Amino acid sequence: MASQKRIGKELSELTASPPEGISVELADEADLFKWKVFMNGPEGSPYEGGKFLVNLTLPNEYPFKPPTVSFGTKIYHPNVTNDEKGSMCLGMLRADEWKPSSKIAAVLEFARQLLLEPMPDDAVEGRIAEQYKSDRKRYDEIAREWTRKWAMSGQ
Amino acid sequence: MSSLFHQSWSYLDPHQPYSEKQKFPGCYQDVLAPPAFFRSLGLPNLAALEPVSFIMSNSSNMNALSADEMERFQKLSNDFEPEAPGLLVSPKQSSQSIAMEYANADPTFATKTNALAITHPMTRVMKRDGNCGWRAMAFGYFETLFSFRDLLRVEQERMRIKSLNYTLDQVGYPEHLYEMFTDATDEVFAQISTAIQNSDPDESFLVNAFNDEYNSNSIVMHFRLLTGAWMKVNRAQYEPFLEPIPLDQYCATEIDTVRSEIDQVGLQALTDGVISNAGFGVEVLYLDRSQGDAVTPHQFTQNCPSDATIRLLYRPGHYDIIYRAEQTVNVAPVVNFQYAMTSDYVSWDQGALSFDANPHLMAIPNLMADPAFAMGGAPMSPVSSVSPSPASPYRLSPTQEMYPSPMQSHAIIPAIPVSSPTPSLPSAAPPPMTSLPSRSNDGPQIRLNPLVMRPSLNHLPVTAPFKNSPYNQAHFRNQDFEPIHWAPNESRK
Repeated sequence: MASQKRIGKELSELTASPPEGISVELADEADLFKWKVFMNGPEGSPYEGGKFLVNLTLPNEYPFKPPTVSFGTKIYHPNVTNDEKGSMCLGMLRADEWKPSSKIAAVLEFARQLLLEPMPDDAVEGRIAEQYKSDRKRYDEIAREWTRKWAMSGQ
Repeated sequence: MSSLFHQSWSYLDPHQPYSEKQKFPGCYQDVLAPPAFFRSLGLPNLAALEPVSFIMSNSSNMNALSADEMERFQKLSNDFEPEAPGLLVSPKQSSQSIAMEYANADPTFATKTNALAITHPMTRVMKRDGNCGWRAMAFGYFETLFSFRDLLRVEQERMRIKSLNYTLDQVGYPEHLYEMFTDATDEVFAQISTAIQNSDPDESFLVNAFNDEYNSNSIVMHFRLLTGAWMKVNRAQYEPFLEPIPLDQYCATEIDTVRSEIDQVGLQALTDGVISNAGFGVEVLYLDRSQGDAVTPHQFTQNCPSDATIRLLYRPGHYDIIYRAEQTVNVAPVVNFQYAMTSDYVSWDQGALSFDANPHLMAIPNLMADPAFAMGGAPMSPVSSVSPSPASPYRLSPTQEMYPSPMQSHAIIPAIPVSSPTPSLPSAAPPPMTSLPSRSNDGPQIRLNPLVMRPSLNHLPVTAPFKNSPYNQAHFRNQDFEPIHWAPNESRK
């Protein structure tokens, strides 16, 4: 499939010069479509110091459909579902906003930026979003606690 | 799980404490959110919004749903794709089908579609998947290119399109992001060259190539990227039409995405940046409820060459390709009617008029449009409608090859016996009413009647049938002129 060539090039570019705080590897050497991404919690966010596993899956229709991004590490965030899936789907990750000319690197940077600046108006976890808006201090506390609990104990 | 809940929290009453019941007010709204969604369905925005507000007003029912049910609905809605049955690009078919669709609709539509089926008898239906306009343009481009059957021209175009990669680099796309799209386009050029070399009878190979979804989407994406890059390089040309939307945002949301339908600005940019330098014209026929009996044509290029114009039919939210009635041969048959009008005609050179100058036959309108009749040595019966042999001095219009007719200019076809029924050959159709095809310099050497040579044609002593004939040159500059429609099937039965 024509997309494999592109995915291969994107992967080698990402491993050669990864964006800040992000490292990438294939979940299975034989499968170009499933990536394991490790994301450091950005400085200044309650996720700082944590290392989050993010699973990036490329659909068969890639690049005509966006990659799916899910957190393998539990995270307290208004835009990440608080379940075993940990899925994130907004902005450029949505099928109707996705641009086939987007780089996967841009997707990962977008996800990391979201840790720094959640988008409560686009939330999947309404309760966390509400708290983020009305009681930022409490939100920071819980997010930090979860980071300590789930994202710092090694992989 | 998220897209459904993408909604503004301002819907919440700020004075009410947060409650589980209110967790997802109006959650369906986003799933059906305009504009992208409706555009992708090819539905007019306003009409389709009506049922949404209806759902919204009944949303109290939905609040009773459990979280599990909500999730199930969410999943369903996430996986929802508008159903668009059929091929991405259909084979050529009769435009009558469009007239049938509107037979019971608004009388304006019915009138216009009926007229359309006569002036533009063939159409090619595009799938309503949000890419119809883009795909129609891309397909039309390659189909037109193929119709010339000119290997050199194909190669020229291939190089030209390739050179546009420079624009992509200029606006900052890395090559590895776009090469799979340009590769797909390049492959089509190669297929066209092969088809010309193999003397493929028709463009079915193109239809097949465009119905391979992955391939087809790659080509469409290539054309989208070229359009977006062209707009970014020529900002001043398009920005005024987009205000207040910034051009980059427009490209990001309308051009570079997967299912956003082409709009007028995008179509103009695609034409300017990609199509028009091929020497092709682009014309869109608008079918709407505006006044008049015919669809409203709008040209996106300065010229629309008769043999190289991509024509799209636009209905609110949807584009199809449409094909004008055949131009038959590129020979202006003006002289024949003049000939019949003069009584004291003396031919200059008998050899130049090898056809029978029987005045009764000459009085039959359109007879001379028939290539068989105009051809020297052919049977003289008006019912004969055969294709010219390769030895004929008449040049065929290249567009002739766009028809799935058995007649191909390069193929040697034995003359069809006069008695054989030859129903509705394109060559028998009346020429379009716009204007006559330009006279070719190397066409047949028909001696003109001195009357035709007169500079002021308005003073011609015209007979009633001639006055209404599309061959009457006095109509050349008269935009309101409409010839009487002549139905070949009725008069030749």
